[in-house]
Amino acid sequence: MDKQVVFKVQRYEPEADGNPHFQEFKIPAKRGMTILDGLIYIKENLDGTLAFRSSCRMAICGSCGMLINNYPHLACHTQIEELRSDIVTVKPLPNLPIVKDLVVDLIPFFNRHKSIKPYIIHPDTKEMENPTAEFVQSPQALEALLQFTYCVKCGICISACPTSASDRLFLGPQALAQCYRYCADTRDGGEEERLTVVDKDHGIWHCHLAGACSEACPKGLDPALAIQLLKRRLIIQAIGLGRKKQPASIVTPPAEVKPKIPFPEFTAKRTE
Amino acid sequence: MRNTYLWLAQLVTGVLIAVLLSIHMVLMHLDAILSFLGVDIKDPTSWHSMIERSRETLWAGLYIALLAIVLYHALNGLRNIILELAPSAATERIITWTIIVFGTIAFVWGTYVPIRLLSG
Amino acid sequence: MTQIQPRRNYLGALGWIWAGNYKLERYLYIFHRITGLGILLFLLLHLVMTTVFRVQGKEVWEATMEVLHNPWFKVGEYLVVVAFLYHALNGLRLIIQELGFALGRPRPPIYPYKDSLRRKRYWTILIISIVVILCVVFFYDFIAGGW
Repeated sequence: MDKQVVFKVQRYEPEADGNPHFQEFKIPAKRGMTILDGLIYIKENLDGTLAFRSSCRMAICGSCGMLINNYPHLACHTQIEELRSDIVTVKPLPNLPIVKDLVVDLIPFFNRHKSIKPYIIHPDTKEMENPTAEFVQSPQALEALLQFTYCVKCGICISACPTSASDRLFLGPQALAQCYRYCADTRDGGEEERLTVVDKDHGIWHCHLAGACSEACPKGLDPALAIQLLKRRLIIQAIGLGRKKQPASIVTPPAEVKPKIPFPEFTAKRTE
Repeated sequence: MRNTYLWLAQLVTGVLIAVLLSIHMVLMHLDAILSFLGVDIKDPTSWHSMIERSRETLWAGLYIALLAIVLYHALNGLRNIILELAPSAATERIITWTIIVFGTIAFVWGTYVPIRLLSG
Repeated sequence: MTQIQPRRNYLGALGWIWAGNYKLERYLYIFHRITGLGILLFLLLHLVMTTVFRVQGKEVWEATMEVLHNPWFKVGEYLVVVAFLYHALNGLRLIIQELGFALGRPRPPIYPYKDSLRRKRYWTILIISIVVILCVVFFYDFIAGGW
């Protein structure tokens, strides 16, 4: 399968002080070729001045988020064939500032991510600084937050979100979902600190469940679900129904005494 | 927690409006179907039935409560939509106060009339 | 050397309506917003109608009603009913889902990815069908000549 595909790429030259315009390239598309392969082909053979950001080519680094045929996706995760059209428009992600051509500025996005304190906050600071053992976490407790840890910070949910389209100060689906991920962690004790960051003007209550973030997420995460669960936490706290969460204790080192019964215990005992 | 309380009130008023306004809608609009079902209500918009309703304290109270709830739900929703257009902090304050003042005036006026008609 | 600022690329309020080829919920969101604003506009007219014209006595009231029996006003009124039905039922769905119910638990992302809203889409479709059925019921009543 070798056919000619026209790539309409949005170009923007900051030094030229012009408006973004489209440039067309003809590309021989092979079977299994991704949009990113097409862009690399353009840069190698047709126009070396094209700027785009990419790194791993396998949907792990989250660098190559683009608006491909009016749908935000990772360029390395979209094959030319699956679009089923001979014309492919490639634009930079909306709602993020453009640096050049297809490169968007992710610094405000990362700053918003940092503002929700994306790390475990444990009241036992001595143990946090000089750990002696692991914190306890059951597989069930891990399941509640595991899928949100797969976020690659590509900025696609920001470009899909209707609130982020107009509200520059909105935290965005990514930061809010990560806030839930850390609040739901049983090892974490910093829920109150994070909820004050999230619960303000241009905060979580400007999410109106349009669901576009979950639909567009290239890693199959569900930021919309995480935000709704975070809203539930906030409301439970607001009406004073919640019980205070006990931060996880550290694993007790195994006792060195020999068991009285020689038969080994396979199941871990729960310490209440 | 201020924003959480504001939005929680938005949700609660939403549920209340869904109940109260459904009654209002059914009584005002579904008279053909209601009379088919055996409930005969007179033309609800005629002067006679309207003035009859406005002399009852229950109806007046219900409509005043509905007015307060609807005004909160509508104006808080409007404020949220305007805030999503990312105005500056000063504009935000002006918008908030305009909406509060407008809501108070609308509520006072909308309460004054049914109370006056209650006796008259 | 001058520092070059990145170009702003926000979609603005147009991004509420369309920002790409999305499926259902994104459009339910904007319909919710449009119907809400429409009902707010109607509420203001309704407030004026039921207060200013009511306190002036029987003649003014009946003259107002005469104007409002105009077919165009009836069409407008039917649109308000449709907007209310949609806003109410979709709003109830939003309340339930914003409180974290009817969305399921977080699940491991396994390809092909399916988010919680799409997994629970039958509820959304059910609610939209109820809205459509109620719209037909109210339409019958408007045709039947009731007010």
